[in-house]
Amino acid sequence: MAFQYGGYVGQILRVNLTNKGITKEPLREDWARDFVGGVGLSARIIYEEVKANSDPLGPENKLVLMTGPVNGTMIPAASRSCFCAKSPYTGSFFHSIFGGFLGPEVKFAGYDGIIIEGKAKAPVYIWIDDDKVQIKDAGHLWGKDPFRTQEILRKEIGDEEIHIATIGLAGEQMAPYAMILCDIRAAGRGGMGAVMGSKNLKAICARGTGAVTVPNVLKVYNTAIRLNELVTTTPAVKGLSEYGTPRMVGALNEGGILPTRNWQTEVFKGMKNITAEVMREKVVKGDRACFACSINCTKYSVVPSGPYKSIINGADYETVYGFGACCAVDNIEALCKADELCDHYGIDLISTALCISWAMECYEKGILTKDDTDGIELKFGNADGMLQMIEKIGKREGLGALLAKGTREAAKIVGKDSVRFAIQNKGLELAGHTARPFPACAVGYATGPRGGSHHDIRPTPEKMGMVDRKVLEGKGALAAEINHWLILCDSMLVCHLAEPIWGPMKISDTTIEALNVVTGWELDYEEARKIAERQWNMIRCFSAREGFTREDDQLPIRFMEEPVPEGPMEGSYIPRETLERLKDDYFSYRGWDLKTGNPTREKLAELGLDFAIDDIC
Amino acid sequence: MARVSVKTFSVIRDVLGSDIVEVEVDKPETVGGVFDVLLRKYGEPFKEMIWDPNTGEMTPFLIRLNDEMIRSTCDMGREIKDGDRIALIIPLGGG
Repeated sequence: MAFQYGGYVGQILRVNLTNKGITKEPLREDWARDFVGGVGLSARIIYEEVKANSDPLGPENKLVLMTGPVNGTMIPAASRSCFCAKSPYTGSFFHSIFGGFLGPEVKFAGYDGIIIEGKAKAPVYIWIDDDKVQIKDAGHLWGKDPFRTQEILRKEIGDEEIHIATIGLAGEQMAPYAMILCDIRAAGRGGMGAVMGSKNLKAICARGTGAVTVPNVLKVYNTAIRLNELVTTTPAVKGLSEYGTPRMVGALNEGGILPTRNWQTEVFKGMKNITAEVMREKVVKGDRACFACSINCTKYSVVPSGPYKSIINGADYETVYGFGACCAVDNIEALCKADELCDHYGIDLISTALCISWAMECYEKGILTKDDTDGIELKFGNADGMLQMIEKIGKREGLGALLAKGTREAAKIVGKDSVRFAIQNKGLELAGHTARPFPACAVGYATGPRGGSHHDIRPTPEKMGMVDRKVLEGKGALAAEINHWLILCDSMLVCHLAEPIWGPMKISDTTIEALNVVTGWELDYEEARKIAERQWNMIRCFSAREGFTREDDQLPIRFMEEPVPEGPMEGSYIPRETLERLKDDYFSYRGWDLKTGNPTREKLAELGLDFAIDDIC
Repeated sequence: MARVSVKTFSVIRDVLGSDIVEVEVDKPETVGGVFDVLLRKYGEPFKEMIWDPNTGEMTPFLIRLNDEMIRSTCDMGREIKDGDRIALIIPLGGG
């Protein structure tokens, strides 16, 4: 019997790697309605199935690959999918979202999502060919890098069109910030690759020939046409097709909000050599789009020869921010090589870059010496030193073994107050979006379940001047409503790059329209908001059950103690007392307990999350 | 009459044809006056870069006026003087 809501297949695939069990289960309709899909649905499943204090790298953790109802339709930017698990990097529920084609392909094969549990005795991969699902030997793939693995699998299976998620050496070794490469896009953050590696799972391959059913094709078509027009004409989305996500590097630098030299400043003097315009001129050879997307933000870049010879799908903004400004390297070709090396080893690019920029600051301050770096002059701006260090992290050699633990753990081991320049929250290094001048973004980072994720909060309303960044009042509410549009979009699943259409201050009418037209629901704003609030509270419950409290909602020490030293944002920072005030504001708005930061009994009952009351109240 | 420099980036720079353009602003000598001049000089291609078709209004963005950050939503009336430097920090969604 067909699932009663449009956009869903109505079936979840469960693969138990311990006993090689493969089962197909009906998707619970009440969970689809209450949690939508993607991140929201994964959070509900993982809360139910992964017990408190489970080892993230033990067989008891589960890796969920989930799609959303809008995935696989013609709605623009509906290409995303997510890997979710308890993170070995942060200890919290984590969702790592990626674009491309794998999510829609999984739906076409007949599944809304895949729950992977247990641990295989030896390396395996999962091959999903419509309704035929097999667990196959991956011994010959172990040790191979992600792109080589994909190449072998496509040849072995005999189908160039399959879509593949795979780990590299870092995932196999369960490095805490190992990522999963999904065709050419990465589920980069939070160590989802380590969870996959802990299960001896090298890859997931999918081929589907089915389709997504919607209640009224013409209505979806008309909505898609209108949204495509919006996507291509909205000023805040313009430039992504031409220049990709680095399009904003020059403007950020001019605005004094380009994090530089491990966030010691926010103005990079070498910026002019690594702008999107320079990239386009020197290395970009083509554009690539994800499923059903008219933005084409991915750039295909080639450095044809020389020491930085490389071929990448990028570089994205986070490469330019992390390896460029934060490591003070102003050579675009070296940045391409850095990007390629991260994919080669299967490590999260943002955390890798911030671990190296932290080490560079340690080196320049005499906390680390050449004895620690195997003779590498690890100063800011040393491109070759930076690249050598990526190799060491990938192989977990020498100082690389320390940096592979992340800045929080590395700072604990190194000591000497180096924690003061570890740019992380809850263990996750921050992406390249500053919060020092932006209070709503600051409290969003602090309270975000993942820590340093720029997709639990967005700085956009403050960065675009839609609100007065200098006013604290109302910023808790703003952060909460930004959380809501993000989590709803991460559950449908649509790409945040079309942010002005889905948000950016609160859930937009367009977001609700896209969800309604695909599912056949008739949600109004309050109903959609309540779903998003339920999803956000669900994830907070997971954190609370793991022992997280208000005390864990912090910012990097630098953000709280060191004002921006130069540029138009000079003097901006978020002192501790300001952060505490913002947290009070945020928790009050959410109806959470001010002392613990946990959802209250009343709030959980209001949202239909009664099952969590005894766990956290 | 105030002569000011306007710095832009990415696709807006492409429309203006240069990283920095000089414009002369007659009455009113304000930030808004600068945009009036730019709209007259560069026409529809420039308007498309800053006009939100969803709202029918100019999209919000930050402006750097010399060493100060101001907002398009409420600071268009700010007076300018000869030699001022303006940079358009727009728009910054995504990434």
